[in-house]
Formats: sequence, C-alpha cells, structure tokens
Amino acid sequence: MLMELWVVPALPLAGFCVLALVGKRLSRWLVAGIGAGSVGLAMVGAIYFSHDFMAFEPTGHLYRESLWTWLNVGGFSPDIGLYLDPLSVVMMLVVTIVGFLIHVYSIQYMAGDEAYSRFFAYMNLFVSSMLILVLADDLLILYLGWEGVGLCSYLLIGFWYQSAANARAAIKAFVVTRVGDTAMAIGLFLLFTQLGTLDIQEVLVRAVRQWPVGSATAIAAAGLLLAGAVGKSAQLPLQVWLPDAMAGPTPVSALIHAATMVTAGVYLIARMHDLFIIAPPVQTAVAVIGAATLVLAGCSAMTQFDIKRVLAYSTISQVGYMFLALGVHAWSAALFHFMTHAFFKSLLFMGAGAVIISMHHEQNMFKMGGLRKQLPFTFWTFLIGACSLASLPLVTSGFYSKGLILWSVWATGHPVLWGAALLGEFITSVYTFRMVFLTFFGEPKGEVSARPGPIILGPLVILAFFSTVAGCVHIPRPLGHFRLFARLVEQALPVPPMQPLPIATEVVFQLLMQGSVLLGVAFAYVLFLRRNDLVAAWTARPAGNALHRFWFSGWGFDWVYTTLLAKPYVWFAHASRDDAFEWIYRGIGAINRGLHEQLSRTQTGLVRWYAVGIVIGAVLLLGLVVFL
Amino acid sequence: MTGVELILLLPLIVLSGAAVAVMLAIAVRRNYLAAFLLTLLGFVLTIMAVALSPGGPQRNVTALFVFDDFARFFIGLITGAGLFVAVLAFDYFRQQRGQFEEFFIMLLGATFGCAVLVASRHFASLFLGLEILSVSLYAMIAYSRDREISTEAGLKYLILAGVSAAFLVFGMALVYAQTGALEFSRMPYITASPDEPLDIIVLAGFGMIIVGIGFKLALVPFHLWTPDVYQGAPAPVTAFIATASKGAVFALLLRLFAQTDVAFYPPLYVTFVILAIASMLFGSWLALLQNNMKRILAYSSIAHLGFLLVAFMGRGHIQSTAAAFYLTAYFVTTLGAFGIVSLLSPGERDAEWIEDYRGLFWRRPFVAVVFSVMIFSLAGIPLTGGFVGKVLVILAGEQAAQWALVVVLVTASAISLFYYVRVVGIMYMPAEAGGADRPALPGLSLQGGGALACLTGLLVLLGVYPGPFLDLVRDMVTTVYAGVLPR
Repeated sequence: MLMELWVVPALPLAGFCVLALVGKRLSRWLVAGIGAGSVGLAMVGAIYFSHDFMAFEPTGHLYRESLWTWLNVGGFSPDIGLYLDPLSVVMMLVVTIVGFLIHVYSIQYMAGDEAYSRFFAYMNLFVSSMLILVLADDLLILYLGWEGVGLCSYLLIGFWYQSAANARAAIKAFVVTRVGDTAMAIGLFLLFTQLGTLDIQEVLVRAVRQWPVGSATAIAAAGLLLAGAVGKSAQLPLQVWLPDAMAGPTPVSALIHAATMVTAGVYLIARMHDLFIIAPPVQTAVAVIGAATLVLAGCSAMTQFDIKRVLAYSTISQVGYMFLALGVHAWSAALFHFMTHAFFKSLLFMGAGAVIISMHHEQNMFKMGGLRKQLPFTFWTFLIGACSLASLPLVTSGFYSKGLILWSVWATGHPVLWGAALLGEFITSVYTFRMVFLTFFGEPKGEVSARPGPIILGPLVILAFFSTVAGCVHIPRPLGHFRLFARLVEQALPVPPMQPLPIATEVVFQLLMQGSVLLGVAFAYVLFLRRNDLVAAWTARPAGNALHRFWFSGWGFDWVYTTLLAKPYVWFAHASRDDAFEWIYRGIGAINRGLHEQLSRTQTGLVRWYAVGIVIGAVLLLGLVVFL
Repeated sequence: MTGVELILLLPLIVLSGAAVAVMLAIAVRRNYLAAFLLTLLGFVLTIMAVALSPGGPQRNVTALFVFDDFARFFIGLITGAGLFVAVLAFDYFRQQRGQFEEFFIMLLGATFGCAVLVASRHFASLFLGLEILSVSLYAMIAYSRDREISTEAGLKYLILAGVSAAFLVFGMALVYAQTGALEFSRMPYITASPDEPLDIIVLAGFGMIIVGIGFKLALVPFHLWTPDVYQGAPAPVTAFIATASKGAVFALLLRLFAQTDVAFYPPLYVTFVILAIASMLFGSWLALLQNNMKRILAYSSIAHLGFLLVAFMGRGHIQSTAAAFYLTAYFVTTLGAFGIVSLLSPGERDAEWIEDYRGLFWRRPFVAVVFSVMIFSLAGIPLTGGFVGKVLVILAGEQAAQWALVVVLVTASAISLFYYVRVVGIMYMPAEAGGADRPALPGLSLQGGGALACLTGLLVLLGVYPGPFLDLVRDMVTTVYAGVLPR
C-alpha cells in the first residue's frame, strides 16, 4: 500500500550526500553506481508507488504523507508533507525515468571528466530537488524544490567553470530566473497574508471561496506566480537564459534544460489551476505568452548553427505549446505534451551529444553532414526523436500530444491562437528537418573520431521507444478515441470547456495540421538539401540578412536587456561606490580601530602600572559606592 | 560531625586525598605517567562523589560550607575542567625537558581551592579557598621555569593577586566590623528592611570585596594583568585560569549576592552595570587587531565575563540558569580553544601567534574544524552552545529590563565577530610557500584528540539539543536561593 513515499526524493539526496562528502575518494565505477543507482532506485520506487496509486485508487484520488512540522510560529506551521495525485504521479514518473536514463548515459558521456563525482553529486541533488518540487503539498516546500533546481541548474551550467563564458552563462541563467523567483516569492507572501496558509490544497479552497472570479487580489496572486513560471520555463520575456544555458554538459541540457526543470512552470500553473481559473486575464496571458513564445523561439531556431542552440530554442518553443494549452484550460493536453516532450527532447539532446563527442566536440551543424552512414544507430534514434518533435502523423508521440493541444485550442474557441500554433507546427518541422538534413545527410564534412559506446546508445534506444509509443495513451476521436491519459489526469485537473464539434471537423483540423507539418518537411528538404543556394541568396540581400541576424540573436532581447537594464545598473553601482553610506561604514571601522589602538597603550607590561590600575579602579569604585 | 556531613564533604576529601596521594607516589618513585593517571583517578572519583552525594537545598556542613545542588553543579563543572586540563598538560609537558610530576599536585590543589570557593558560605572559607587557588596558580603559571615569559607572568600574578587580596580582606573586615557577621546569610538583606539605607561602611566593605573579586574575574578596570599572564603561562594553565578559576569565583559571586542581595542596593548595582559594560566593550576592542592567539583569547574572556555579568544583574531563576548555562558553554569552548593551542605547541614555544594557524585546515583538517567550532561558539553562532548561552543571557537581561546592557552586549558581540572570524579565515587560507621553515606541528595523541572530539561533541549537543541539560541546570542552580526567594 502507499507508504513511505519520502523514500523517492530521499534516495537521490542520499546519493548526493555520499558523493559530495566522500566522492573524491571513491573509484569511478562506484561513483557511477551511486549516482545512477540512487536515481534508478528512486525510479523503481516511483513506479511502485504509481502502480499502487492506480491499483488502489485512494479516496479522492490523492495520497498525503505528513512527515513533520517544520516550525510553529504564530499560526504559521508548515507541515513538511508529500502529496501524490495523478498530476504528481505523471511528473514523478517522467522525472525519475528520464532522469535515470540520462544518468546512465552520463556514465560514459562524462567518463573522461576530472570532476566525475562532482557531476553526479549535482545531478543527484537536482533529481532530489525536482522530486521535492513535484511532490510538495505545501507551497513552501515546493519553493524549496524550486530554488533547489535553480541552484543545481546554476551549478551544472557552470560545471566547466574554468571557462569564463560558462561561468557567465550560469550567472545569466541564475539572475534571469531570479527575477521570476522574486515575483513568485512575493506571490507566496501575498497568498499567505491573504489566505493564512501555504498548504496548496487549502490555498486553492480558500482562494475560490474568498475571491470572486476576476478579483484584483486573485489576478495579482496568479500574475506573480505566472512570473515565476515564466522565468523558470524560459517563456517570453524571460527566455533569454536558456540558449546560453547550453554551456553545460549535454546530459545536463537534456535533463534540466529540456525534460524536467524548464517544465516546472507548467507544473506550477497546473498545480495552482483553481487560482488561475478565477483570474481570467492571467489565464489569457498564459495562452498569449505561450503562443508568442512558440512562434518567436521557432523562428530563432531556424537560424542557429549550433545544434544544441537549435534544440534550446526548440525547447522554449515546445514549452510555449504547453503554456498555450494551459492558457485555454486544456490541462491534460499540456501535461500530455510535457510527457512526450520529455521523452523526445531528451532523446534529441542525447543524440546530439553522441554526435558532438563523435565529432571532436564540434557543435556547428554546418561542419557536420553525412553522418547517417557513419553513425547509423545515432541517426535512426535521432530521426525518431526529430519526427516526434515535428509531430509526423500516426507513429510519433508528438503527433498525439500536439494534435490534442491544437484541437483543444480550436475547440475552446481561440482561432487566432490556433493560427499561431499552426504556424508554429510549420516552423517546427522546418527547423527540425533542417537540423536532421544538415547533420546526417549531404556530404561528410568532418571526420568521426570515436563511436558512442553501448552505455550511450542504450538510453537512446529506450527513449526512442518511448518517443514512439508514449502517444498511445491518448488517441483522438477520429482514430479510435482512447482517453487513458486524460481520464487519469482529469481526476486531479478539471475537464477543458470544449465545444461539442462533429468528428468531421476534427478530421479536417487534423489534416490541416498534418499538411503544415509535411509542408515544413518539404520546405526544409528543398532549402537545406537540394537548393542550398536559395538560402544563401536570401541572406545575401540586406533585408534577408537583417532578418536572419535579428532571428539569430533571439529577436534582440539580449541587446534590449543589456542596454536598458544591465548597463544603467552597472553605471549606478559604480557611481554610488563612494556615497555617504560607505562613509558611515568606514567611519565605524575607523572608530573601532582607533579605540583598539588607544586601549592597547594601557597594556604596558609594567607591574607597577597594573597595580596603579587596580588602585585607580578601586578609588573610582569606592567613590561611586560612597557618594552615589 | 555526622556521617551525612562526611558524605557531603566527600568531594573535598577525595580531591585533597588525591593531591596527597600524588605527592607520596612521587616521593616513592618518579613516574610522569603514574602521576598523571593518579590525578585522573582523583578527578574521576571526585566527579563520582559529586554525583552520588545526596544534594538538595541548604545542605550546610559546619558554619563554613554548604553542599547544596548549586555547589555540586559547580564542583562537578570545575572538576571536569580540571580533568581536561590534566589531559592537556600531560601532552604539553611531555614535549619539554624537565621533571613535571609535581605539576599535578598543583593542579589538584588549585581545583581543591575552587571547590572550597563554590561551597563556602562564610568569609573564612572564602578567603582560604581563594588563597589555596592563588598559591597553586603562582607555581603553575611559572612552571616553565626556563622560559623568561613564564616566570615573569608568575611574578606579575603573585604581586597583583596580593594587592587584590588585600582589598578583599579589608572589605571583609569592614563588613564584619559593622555587622558582626562572617556568614553570608547573616549579612544585610535589603528586602527585609527596604526603607533603611545601608551603612556606608558596609557599602565600602562590599565595594572592596568587589575589587578583589573583579581582579580574579578580570573585569575592567581590574583586567590589565590578564593578557600578560595568559600569554606567559603554559597553555594548559591558561586554560585552567580562564575556566576553573574564573568559574569558581563567579559561582561565589552568585552565592554571596544571592544570600545578601546587597548587590541590588542602587550604588552597588550601578557599579556592576558599569563593570559589565566596560568589560564587554573594552575586552572586544582590545582584542580587535591582536595577533597573538593567547592574548586574543584573554581579551575575549574579559568580554565574556562582561556578558556573564548581564545575567547576574537580576535575581531570579532565569538569571541564575542563564549564568550557569553560559558558564558551562564558556568552559567547554575555552577548554577546547586553549586545548588546541596547547596540543599544537611544539616543545620550544607555544603556538600562540596567529600566523602559526595560517592554512591549518590544509595541514590538520580535524583540528582546524574543531577550532572553528570553538570560535563559532565563542562568537555565538547558532548550533553551538555559545549561541544558546548568549540567547539565555539576553533573555535574562531582558527580564531584568536591563536594556542598556543588552544593547551593549549585542554591540560588543558584533565587534567581537571581527577578530573571531579573522582567525577562522586564516585557518582556511592556503598555507604560503615559505611555510616549510615553520616548526613541524606535534602529532595529536589519542587522549588529546579524544578530548577535543569530546568537547566538540558536547558543544554541538549543547547548541542543538540543550533541553535536558537546561532542565538539569535550572533544578540544581536555583537551590542557591533556598530560604531566600520563593521558588
């Protein structure tokens, strides 16, 4: 039966503790065993608990495990507790399964690295924090996990800290997400002062009871939480950190910056859905942010050279789809896409990683090519991932999850957003197959130095399998109407308000979507495989060149932030270096130093002076006693 | 003398007996290890005698002594300190050439003097205890005869302690002349007759007693001897002066003014407030840029006694509990800090300069971590006993509505952080290139390392889970008010 759920996050945490304390003295195989083994055991635990959860169907479809009360001050008594419902079951499963596979992959991928144990220590800490995040039943604990994953992200982006660029990327990621985190913290303060609790379920119940739909407080609270989610999930306008975060090792990009952490924002909004429902403007904002992000990031992805940056922009764009789904109340669609995306995106990252190490750490796609023959295994698994990302029909999981999102957007009555999403489909398949064609087709441009070993390929095959079949848990009406996933998730999340449209309409829209996807593939085929000169001709023109540069730089967000925020701030900091407050602190220091020097002169080392000191003290004391 | 009284006296009997036994053993055959083991046995038996004695409030034995729970607590604490000092001294003197067996007689004698002090309820026993302690200390401070600085420190202490003892005796005489009493409990008690102003001679007498006690506690302005003597004395002896000697005198102060409450007569009260403020601030300032570890600890002990006085400034269970807890944490911490200085001292000189500790972490991680814990406790950082002690003292000061004292306490703590953290920082810096010509650190013996581990564990336990010990302290120490204050 369901018990001792705390074991799941505790196992990777224990792994972290062991590796952090004695990791340097252990052999590499032991480090790998502890690092991957602790996550593997957590995965077994997660599968076991999920199985129990579905088999026993606890009352109310949820299970709470109270561990202890942290402190009890003036009515603020956060219980450290865990909360399992279908939403957290899905998150927990994906985090542990994908996490385990990536840990296994890292055993070989990181094999040559000096700081082997440090890497696994950070990774374990990350998995533990992420599990705390998704299992928390109190916003305070959720925030603990939230900050924990942020810290690990920072540590792992800057894992190769000897290079200044990596350190800068890490700081950028940390600072930008901090903007969102600060807003989220303020949101938590607001919820606590207004509702008197941080227990998630209690917060939702009280919010719905106390605040009418559309009330200012509800909008403020939901808006602040949305800011936190936007920061963590790299959505507009805080998306700028994610492409630079690719400075970290590739398994880190796969785990943290594709599969799990960047979807924490999606989880937060789904977890707090009642709050967002009573704040309709914020809900609309979620959808608009998602739609805008998916188009913008998709355009940028089309112009990148670096294979990892393509995938980074693609991640931003795909998380945009999830936000779009959340915004139109299609909770289960968002979660569905989260799951399939976790599989195929980590597959793509790990495939890219296999290519990169085979090519002497070359990441520029224009220096690759023709790898289809040399790395067949990697090619086929990568292709499966790419098809799923582009959501080619029927055999890919992306087809089912994104199809559900697009249909939900239309059926809840948002034609403009639907249009953006359809455009996004086209862009997605263009940049995906641009990546595939440049890397694996055409003339070989570099030489393959090493072929990835079995420990690297194993996880690729497993993920390729998941990327193909994971879609089967939810099949749309025209193809058989199988709603296992939605039924499960709808135990925890409300059913989207969809208009009852005829099946024929759904078929038409499915075909439209497939049309745009296939058009995109064809477009990529022509431009990047057959007629390379066309692209060169376009970008040679001033207008084309400008657009290319604009998209390549991520729509100029970095430039705007640097000019409007960073530079004035740095200037101000320099300007106020010698302000009045500084004098106060220097003054305090000087006074104390002066007193020390004056008092030290009383320590002469002469006994006669010391005796006189006692006598003077006695005289003063007696004078005080007698005359007061 | 009845059988019960004999049992109550047992700790004193065992301590003095141990001193005699060590002396006789040395007379028969000189053996450093045997003398040490006999001393250890003496301390352990004393602690057992303390633990087994019946206790309770108001256990008077003759007109001179009282073995209530208050006395038992402090005798136990002081004997424990003596035990650790014996372990440190064993390692410390083994490095040096010469015959050091007699040192343990002095140590037992000094501990005996401390025990007499905390159990005394009469001026006669007070003075006897103080002199037994002082005479033993003169010899202990000057024990490294071939070091000039040690002899000098011994002589300084002799002369200045003589001066202060003169004040003390004269003060007692004045009090006796006016009241005809030598027992504390028969001395003026204000609450009995609040309207009647105290006789000026009695006040002057108590003022002089405060001078004598203030010298022993190294309160400003009677503190000038402290750094010189701390620096000159062998490190284990410094540990003894800083803990057992001061702790015993403070316990005596608590008892004297719990029984008489003359300290709460405004002129004397103001005196104590001024002493406390001056000690806290001057101690912290004096330590600020100091480069000698022993002197830093000397000045810091001045400030710490000032903190303790804050807890003394009220009459009640909270104040006495806070004082006793703070004193315990201070004992553990100071023993640990001087223990490290002592254990790291190579034969020729003490490891007293701050530069000796540069990069200690990279050479001796265990010692550096223990030292860091000790220093954090001195600074009052959470999770150490020092933090809980400081919180209790602030609480006690707040209960007595002594806001000025509390503010000064916080300020002085802030200043003290500077020199504490500086030491920690130096320990974790990389050892510089020219470090090879420094004398090699002596290896840590099993008993020395064990003692340090034990003290660290105790300190963290006091900081993390102080509840049970706090209850014990409260129950034992508040017996000092028996027959004076309602519980």
